Amino acid sequence: MTEPITLTVNGLDYPVDVDMGRNLLSVLRTEIGLTGTKEGCDDSECGACMVLLDDQPVNSCSYLALQAEGKSVTTIEGVMPADGLHAIQRSLLEEGGVQCGFCTPGIIMSTRALLDGNPSPSEEEIRIGLSGNLCRCTGYAKILAAVIRTASDN
Amino acid sequence: MPLLTESKVFIRPDGPDKVTGSGRYVADITLTGMLTAKFLYAGISHAEIIRLDVSAARRVPGVLAVLTHEDVPERRFGSIADRTLFAKDVVRFEGEVVAAVAAIDAEAAQKALDAVVVEYKPLQVVTDLEEAIADGAPLVHEGWADYEAANVERNGNVASFTSMTRGDVEKGMAQADHVVFGRYVADATHAAPIEPRGVLAQWEGDRVTIWSSTQVPFQARDGVCETLDLPTNRVRIIVPHMGGGFGGKCGFHYEAHVAALARVARRPVRLVFSRREEFIAPDRRREGMIIEITTGLKSDGTLTARRVRVLLDNGAYSADSSFFPHMAAMHTLGPYKIDNIHAEAFSIYTNHQPSGSVRAPTAPQTCWALESHTDELAAVVGMDPVAFRQQNCIDTGETGVAGQVYDEIGLQECIREAVSGIDYGQDLEDDEAIGVAVGWWPSFPGASGAFVKIDRDGKGVITTGAQECGTGSVMTLPILAAAELGMEPEDFELVYQDTSVAPYDEGATGSQTILNNGRATVEAARQIAVQLKNLAAKKLEASPDDIVLADGRAHVAGSPESAVSIVELAGVAAGGELLLGKGSGTPPEYPSAVGVACVGDQGLSGWAGPQFSCHAVKIRLDRETGVVRVLDVSAAHDSGVIINPIGASGQVEGGVMMGIGQALTEGTVYDEDGAQKNPAFLDYKLQTMADAPPIRVHFAEVHTPNMGPHGSKPIAEAPNVATAAAISNAITKLTGQPVPRLPMTAQRVWETMRGGGDG
Amino acid sequence: MSFAIAGSLDEALAALAVGARPIAGGTDLVVGARQGKAPLPASLVAIDRLDELAHIESRDRGIRIGAMVTHSQLMIDQMIVSGYTALADAAALVGSPSTRNIGTLGGNVMNASPAMDTGAPLMVLGAVAQLRSARGSRTVELSDLWTGPGQTSAETEELCVAIDLPPRPARSGSAYVRLEYRRAMEIAIVGAAASVTLADDGTILGGAVALSAVAPTIIEVDDAGALMTGHLPDAAAAAVATAASDVARPISDLRASDTYRRHTVGVMAARAVDAAARRAAGEEIGVPVNRAIGVGASR
Repeated sequence: MTEPITLTVNGLDYPVDVDMGRNLLSVLRTEIGLTGTKEGCDDSECGACMVLLDDQPVNSCSYLALQAEGKSVTTIEGVMPADGLHAIQRSLLEEGGVQCGFCTPGIIMSTRALLDGNPSPSEEEIRIGLSGNLCRCTGYAKILAAVIRTASDN
Repeated sequence: MPLLTESKVFIRPDGPDKVTGSGRYVADITLTGMLTAKFLYAGISHAEIIRLDVSAARRVPGVLAVLTHEDVPERRFGSIADRTLFAKDVVRFEGEVVAAVAAIDAEAAQKALDAVVVEYKPLQVVTDLEEAIADGAPLVHEGWADYEAANVERNGNVASFTSMTRGDVEKGMAQADHVVFGRYVADATHAAPIEPRGVLAQWEGDRVTIWSSTQVPFQARDGVCETLDLPTNRVRIIVPHMGGGFGGKCGFHYEAHVAALARVARRPVRLVFSRREEFIAPDRRREGMIIEITTGLKSDGTLTARRVRVLLDNGAYSADSSFFPHMAAMHTLGPYKIDNIHAEAFSIYTNHQPSGSVRAPTAPQTCWALESHTDELAAVVGMDPVAFRQQNCIDTGETGVAGQVYDEIGLQECIREAVSGIDYGQDLEDDEAIGVAVGWWPSFPGASGAFVKIDRDGKGVITTGAQECGTGSVMTLPILAAAELGMEPEDFELVYQDTSVAPYDEGATGSQTILNNGRATVEAARQIAVQLKNLAAKKLEASPDDIVLADGRAHVAGSPESAVSIVELAGVAAGGELLLGKGSGTPPEYPSAVGVACVGDQGLSGWAGPQFSCHAVKIRLDRETGVVRVLDVSAAHDSGVIINPIGASGQVEGGVMMGIGQALTEGTVYDEDGAQKNPAFLDYKLQTMADAPPIRVHFAEVHTPNMGPHGSKPIAEAPNVATAAAISNAITKLTGQPVPRLPMTAQRVWETMRGGGDG
Repeated sequence: MSFAIAGSLDEALAALAVGARPIAGGTDLVVGARQGKAPLPASLVAIDRLDELAHIESRDRGIRIGAMVTHSQLMIDQMIVSGYTALADAAALVGSPSTRNIGTLGGNVMNASPAMDTGAPLMVLGAVAQLRSARGSRTVELSDLWTGPGQTSAETEELCVAIDLPPRPARSGSAYVRLEYRRAMEIAIVGAAASVTLADDGTILGGAVALSAVAPTIIEVDDAGALMTGHLPDAAAAAVATAASDVARPISDLRASDTYRRHTVGVMAARAVDAAARRAAGEEIGVPVNRAIGVGASR
């Protein structure tokens, strides 16, 4: 049994029919067609599925799509301003914080939430703030450098 | 001279796709009419299939294909041809594929799986390595003698073995003042890329296109051809963006299953693994091991003899693991000067998930054992462990364990720099310690090809079979081509990972891209350089031999003002002889060997241009709980001349972090029936950013002759070798004795301090 | 299958009365369903937008924490951090930033996992749960609420609407510490909370200790108060460590053996007493204790 709802994603309203058990991640990727948000683990352990819900980071794999109605969802596709890359995106590229790129959208979403709430985080606050995003490629060093640089450029 | 100036920021060409979410990975690709694939796994580690009936599954609404072994050609494959696409008669590990379905959605596919009737008669499960090779052990493969493989000898559950002998080990032991024995046990671990694999297949007529998250598209293609009886030119493998591999996506996996489903269903079919499937099903797991080392040494620290015995858990099938005994033997002997050696290594069939290439296969475990043992040796003769290594590790011109005499190598520089990078002599808190370990890793010469073209606007395309799974081929290959042509790396785009378009390459395996595809790309670019020089010579009225390509221009040597831009030359060429280059070249040869292996030497016993490393780590130990935290890491590597600094240091940092996980928190736990108990990230614990220490990286940039371009050597796997070993040596300084089992979990460290048990 | 977003508490209670199950952040429910632990209930009512349940308020006798207060709120709320610090310690350790944003105290309490982090702090702080249904309200002691792993004594139509905490005596401190193998993204292998009140001479006037992940439910070390009273914190911590190890009834699983758990829960209990006593004496120890002074080598 599906329920017709409207999801607001990156500022646009999408009417979708959703099964009760569907998670937000699957609706974003299939019904809405935004595949930048990734599925890495199914159970909130890797952070590849991170989106912002009313500006707070949420593991979209573990959140029911129906519960997102009336809230504002931001995905990686909604991060880039019209005039080019967001500072976080640019820093990650220039510092070498991107390798395979599969964790990258989640890293960017968590970073954005972190810096929105705390524009000048300490290194420890960055480490804790991004601890829900696993990266297997980089050893985190260049991601950390990119976040520090984004914060100091702010 | 570096190929990139230090101030140059070269952004990886696939980077903008990856930071904006526009880049497509397999799971992101949808084709019209596409079906969802799901597999039925054995769910039991060893059993006879006494009934398999899929008729009800085929009747489930929305199901368009249900396949078992009856629906595909009867073919055995693998480095030892011991497996089939679908289980027939017997299942040998929990993740073995028994049936596959394709349906209009995941729910219908699941209903079909639930409707498959399969009955098993359980067989005795083989999980313990020593028991598996004891007389009368139940056999994992009853029909093993009939399998095709080079030089195999039937010997119970031994899948493959290596024996290496040099000098006289008995005599060497007799000359020793001390003989030290160590036994170490390593648990299995996983590659655990963050992207679970995906395969999407679509038939058009008698040709199939397969999008797959494989590190080795040509191997995957060959597997499809072999198992489904197809010629190579009708199977096209395309790899879109790929979310990490680390060896876990090497080999031929599920491309044939999905292609077979798509052929029967007459629809595109996509398979995407869950995290649990990614843990239990693929034939790529870092094997568990038992490692025994006996070393004889004199009181002055001179090593006189070493004997090693290594048992490797092959798992149920052989994937690419048949050469692993050789690798394990070399790593357990180590980069040391020892004239008398004897090594035996056995890869043993069990009812566990198959082993296969995971980043530096066999090395982290054997290095952990050997280097823990080496610190014991130093302690026995009262030497500082660093000084002991400086005395005993091989250097330029010296002879290694397998008889190889080394060209210019930087192992001693690595030791010196790693140790100074961590301030080895510093005052430490009483719960802190520094451990040091050395490692090595071979370079694998192989065939590879590349095409390079430059179009009318002076922009280039490199078409190559090389792979990009995050490792940076997209950076390194343009840097190499640009250097040959006096152009910028940004002038090149890479077309890659399409077996019908690009020449052969082994793929992202064995760290081989820079060594093999790098040579091919340079050779292809050089052909274009000749073309450009001829065109410029005509234009500038000079000899082609006097033309220099630099800064986007061709100029006459000694007269930089007499120049023509490459863009202009490209315009000329566009109307005549096009700027096209191709490269392949003869790979460097392996040095001679002293070893014997059941599947042939494979050129591994003497290693071509090995990479060397030394890692030093500072840890803190919570003595009341055994929890260890790594505070600081200094990693020094001889990977020859570094072509792409940001990529190379990224490889080291990632490899170190993976090593910390393997040292402390990553280990697969099996139940007594051979099933994995922790196939999820909650209990298979990767390190987080909160755990990550600062990592200092030093490259000993030894110009290595006859290896990769510009004196380079590979880099991707070597950083994953020595970290766990260094952590072990740091822990031992605080606990008094090594933790005999990997991972060195908090509980095992605590038990070691209490003086008993190994968890 | 039905799903409704409750606009008011009465709406939520009405839905529960006809068989719906409540969903707050869904962090346990959705993951559990996806892992096959328990299927998603056929009828759900979302309670996460009930603002009246999302506040921490000071009352005549103590404070009331609405069931929909998230871990992120708890870890920085001044009343919690200053007076009920153990709860802030625990909230700051739960999962990742996203889990803490979405996961609620009510959800955590009613999920009744023996490894829950907030449970032991609530117990030593003397918390009680406020349950409400369409038929009325009642107050339940936590030791009566948690009956087994994932089991509570609440009726299916009852909703946990708040957790009440009594006022803190002067010179009191509390702390929660847990054993963790990583510095983040952990589930408690074992954990311990302590609440301590000091006398003017620096000895302990009274207190309590509770343990996570060593029994089918969160358990209290019954004689901890008696063991500590009259002693200086060091001696009290040592006595509590032994008592905690004795009272623990841990299982062996892939995360730890029973022997190791029994030992380390004593270590955690001693460290919790130590940190609680130092806080009671006025020392500033940051939240969470695990990261402030180092538990499991994580300093």
